[in-house]
This record gives sequence, C-alpha cells and structure tokens, in this order.
Amino acid sequence: MSAANAGPSPVLVVEDDPHLAAGVRENLRAEGYEVSAASNGEEALAWLREHECALIVLDVMLPGIDGLGVCRALREQGNNTPVLFLTARGDPADRVRGLEAGGDDYLAKPFHLQEFLLRVRAILRRWDWYRNASATAATAVLRFGGNEVDFRAFRARAWNGETQELTEKEAMILKVLAEHLGEIVSREDLLERVWGYDVFPSTRTVDNFILRLRKRFEQDPANPKHFLTVWGVGYRFLIEDQP
Amino acid sequence: MKSTRVFQLTALALVVVSAVQVGWWLFDQHAYTVEKVNAARAAYAGQTAAAQALLDSGTPATRVQQLLPQIVVTGTQASLAPAVEQALHTEEHRRNNQYAWEGGFFLLALGVCIAVIARALRAEARVLEEQDSFLALVSHQFKTPLASLQLSLETMALRAPAPEAARTLIDRMLADLARMEAMVTQILESVRLERGRVDLRAESLELRTAVARVVTQLEERARAERISIANAIEPGLYVLSDPLALDVVVRNVLENAVAAVACAGGGDIALSARAGVGEVELSVKDTGVGFDPVAGARLFEKFTRLGAAAPRGGSGGYYGTGLGLYIVRRLMTLAHGRVAAHSEGAGKGASFVLAWPAAQEPKP
Repeated sequence: MSAANAGPSPVLVVEDDPHLAAGVRENLRAEGYEVSAASNGEEALAWLREHECALIVLDVMLPGIDGLGVCRALREQGNNTPVLFLTARGDPADRVRGLEAGGDDYLAKPFHLQEFLLRVRAILRRWDWYRNASATAATAVLRFGGNEVDFRAFRARAWNGETQELTEKEAMILKVLAEHLGEIVSREDLLERVWGYDVFPSTRTVDNFILRLRKRFEQDPANPKHFLTVWGVGYRFLIEDQP
Repeated sequence: MKSTRVFQLTALALVVVSAVQVGWWLFDQHAYTVEKVNAARAAYAGQTAAAQALLDSGTPATRVQQLLPQIVVTGTQASLAPAVEQALHTEEHRRNNQYAWEGGFFLLALGVCIAVIARALRAEARVLEEQDSFLALVSHQFKTPLASLQLSLETMALRAPAPEAARTLIDRMLADLARMEAMVTQILESVRLERGRVDLRAESLELRTAVARVVTQLEERARAERISIANAIEPGLYVLSDPLALDVVVRNVLENAVAAVACAGGGDIALSARAGVGEVELSVKDTGVGFDPVAGARLFEKFTRLGAAAPRGGSGGYYGTGLGLYIVRRLMTLAHGRVAAHSEGAGKGASFVLAWPAAQEPKP
C-alpha cells in the first residue's frame, strides 16, 4: 500500500477481548500504522463495506460470526484484503482451516509482540511486491494458452470462455511463476514468496494450489501444458508459444 | 483407566462368545431332537409297512398285533398306535421346550451382561470426551488473558513507555491476572458442582438481607462505573437455600449486571422480589448492553461469553470467565429453584429472574 499512497497503511483489528485489542492497536499505532478496530464479526464486515484497509488482524473466536466466517464472507465478496488470524488454538489442523478460509498468516495466542509485528510487516511487504509487480499495463495481464489473467482484478477468462475469480493466493502463485517464466520454481520458493515463512505444515499445500490452477486454466488438467511438475523439485510455468 | 477398559472389553468379548455358543447349542439340540424323532418315525413307518405286508399276505390280525405291539389293525388296515404317535410328539415337544427355556434363560442373562458392559463402556467414553473438551475449553479460555498479559509486558519491554502509559499497561495486566484468578476459582467451583461434591444446606433465609449484603460489596465498584443499584425487595420474604450458594448466585448475577451496565457507560440496576406459588422470585433488571435473545439460549452453558462490545476507546470491557452463569444454574438446580434470563436484544438491557422455594420465617 505504501507504494500506492504515501499515507500509513490502515490496519483493521478485529478482537473481542478489550485488553488484547487495545494492546494490539497501540503497538500497531506505535509502528506507524493507522488502526481501526471492531469487536465482532458483524461490526468488521460492516466497517469493511465502507472502508478499505491494507491488512485485517482477525481473531478466530469471535462472538456471532467467527473469524473464519468473516474471512470466508470477504473472499466471497471478492475482497482480497490480506488477513492475519489470531487464535487460541494453534494446532496444525486449525492452521490449515484458517488458511483454507483465505487467511494469509496465522498466529497462536499467546504470541510474541516482535513476531506479531514481523508478520504484519511481512504480509504488507508481500502485498507491496504483488501490487508493484502488477502495476504496469504489461505486468497487470498475463496471457497463455487462450487464458487471460487480470492480476489487478483477481479475475481471469479461461480458454473455454469461463470467467474465473482468483483467490489472492492463486493470483500470487501465478505471479511468481510468471516472473520466472520457463524456470524451475521450487515449492519452498513458492511458500516463501506467497505465504511467508513457517506458516504451512507442509509443501503439499502448494501442490493443491497448482492442481486448482490446472483445473482452471489447463484444457486437460491431467496432461498439463503450462503448469508442469518437475519431479522432486517444484514447478515450471510455460506459455504455449514459447519453447 | 486403560486397564479397566481392557478388562471391560475382554469381558464383553467373552460374554459375546458365550452367547454365540449358547445360541449354537440351542440350534444343535433342536436339530438333534428333530433328527431322532424323525428316525423313530421312519422306524415306526417301517413297522407299519411290515404289518400291512403281513396282513396282505393273510396273517391274522391278532398275530400281527402280537408281533408288532405298536401297531393297531382296523379291518385290513395297519397303522401306528395313536398312543405311540402321541408319545413321540410329546417327547419332541418336551425336549424343544426344555432347550428353549434353558437356552433362552442363558441368552437373556448374557444379553443383560452385554448391555451392562456396553453401557459402562459408552458412559466411560462420554466422560473421557467431556473431560477432554472441558480441558480444551479451559486452556483455550486461559490463552486470551495470557496473550494480553504477554503483550502488555512485551510492550513495556519494547517501548519503555511514559509513566502514564505504563500505568495503563499495569492496570491492564492486573485486571488480566484478576480475571485468571477468578477463572481458576470458578473452574474449581464448577468441577466440584459437577462431581456433586457439595453439601448444600436448606435454611430459611431472608432475601432482602441476603441480597443487601452482596449489593454493599458491589456498591463501590458500581459507583465508579456510574451505576445505581436500587434494592426494592420487601422485607419478610423467606427462601429455602444454602446461605453460601445464595450469596454466590446473587453475586454472579449482580456482577454480570454491573459489567453489562458498565459496558453501556453507566445506568441502573433494579432489584425486586415477589412471592409466587410456593416460591419467591427475585428479579434483577439492568439497563446494560443486553444480549441477542437467540444467543441467550446458550447463556447458562459452560464458557458462553456473549461478548458484548467494549465501549469505544474505553479500556474496560465485558469480561466474563464464561462460568459464572453456568455455576448459577447448577446451584439453582441443586437448590430446587430456577433461573431465567431475558433481553429484548443487544443494547436493550437484560433481566434475570431467580426463584427459590418459599420458606417460613425461622423460629427464634
């Protein structure tokens, strides 16, 4: 966001515990972020209907609609604002649920302040990269094999004419692959670039996302022409016209 | 616990195998009897045929009867004596009956054993599951105040705040600690109530005095939060309850009301009571943040916090352990009373009704 406008990055904190909410708010303000707050899911969704922000810090256990529900609702509305989940449950299954709901990162309570701030910065940095990498007319659109991807709108027209709404993760993976056209990109690189560090329990998640991309954009997902697996290493992305 | 389970499962397996064996024995005995009776019938049929052959060959009927006493001759027709046929039938019936009763009894006994063991196993599994979910809930409940404490401490370490800001952080930490302490007390209390390890007395208590004692303890806090508590309970209403339980119940409901009104930025709490049929009803009405009537159904469940909003910019908020009202309901049930809550919706206040069995004025 800082590249797009010079002001501080607005962050929405959604947390029902008043002390924790105040602590998070104050620390984010001290780091120079502009902070808004909501104490439940309905309030957060209402705020987001009228405002935009660069990041949502979202508690999972909220009264009413919980954090996962809020995140899902946002994604369904086509809102791709990154979400950092805070939760009292930190086991891998819960992490995966959070990330599947469309979250960008996941922090278990109690957490370290420095780590929290680091993760906030990392998410915002990833989004800065994505926005900058999609800023020009040439980089905002990717064409391959009859597919046309609009990175800024998170939307694509597939070879069969269908409109595809992309999740932010799918768009980011496509962006990373497109930036390394024809090169081998390892699963770890994809994790690092798209999710940041140590968020996922396994690199299999990347495989799942590649499967989804194939389903969306390959004429025959079982025999991919664009999203090629390089066994034991990672993936290679090809645009058909190129060798 | 594990060895008990192995023992129970072994017993269950043995009983099931025994039941199958008894079933098989029953079937086998029945088949054996049928086989024997049929063999006897075949032998008699042979005799009848032989007698008929003798008759046909001209042997006198008396001679035939001498040779084959089980056969009767009517005219030129030989047939099995009805008494023999009857005896065969009776024997078959007797045996089958015997097996059915004996086997049936064993099967019934074994079936009861299976049911008892299976029930015990299921009950145990349920207890384990409940314990697990209780532990998960408890640890979950502790993580939020812990996270808040850690955040406040790390903020102090990282930012070296000015005395005024530090004071806010310290107050916050103290409140978090107080909250955790309250949670520990209430968790222990609720576990004790669940195990039924409480001896509640049934005494005649004057409601106004008992409630007034709790109100006095809460008044200072209420004043600080701009809350007025009006105790309009008439003297002379007696309820049957344990004095400590009554204190805990009233305190929990009143603390709840104070927190709800504090969240709304101040207001009123009105206490009144009336005598019903065989009971005395205490009503606690507040002008606090209220709750969604739909979510209200879960109000008295363990760890339900309907999480009313914190006042904008305020540091305080609605803080519950999620156990208070659960304890209230348990205690009221044990006291043969009842408790109900009502709210028109968020922001519209709430009213709680507590009813105890009515009691006579204690004799001096």
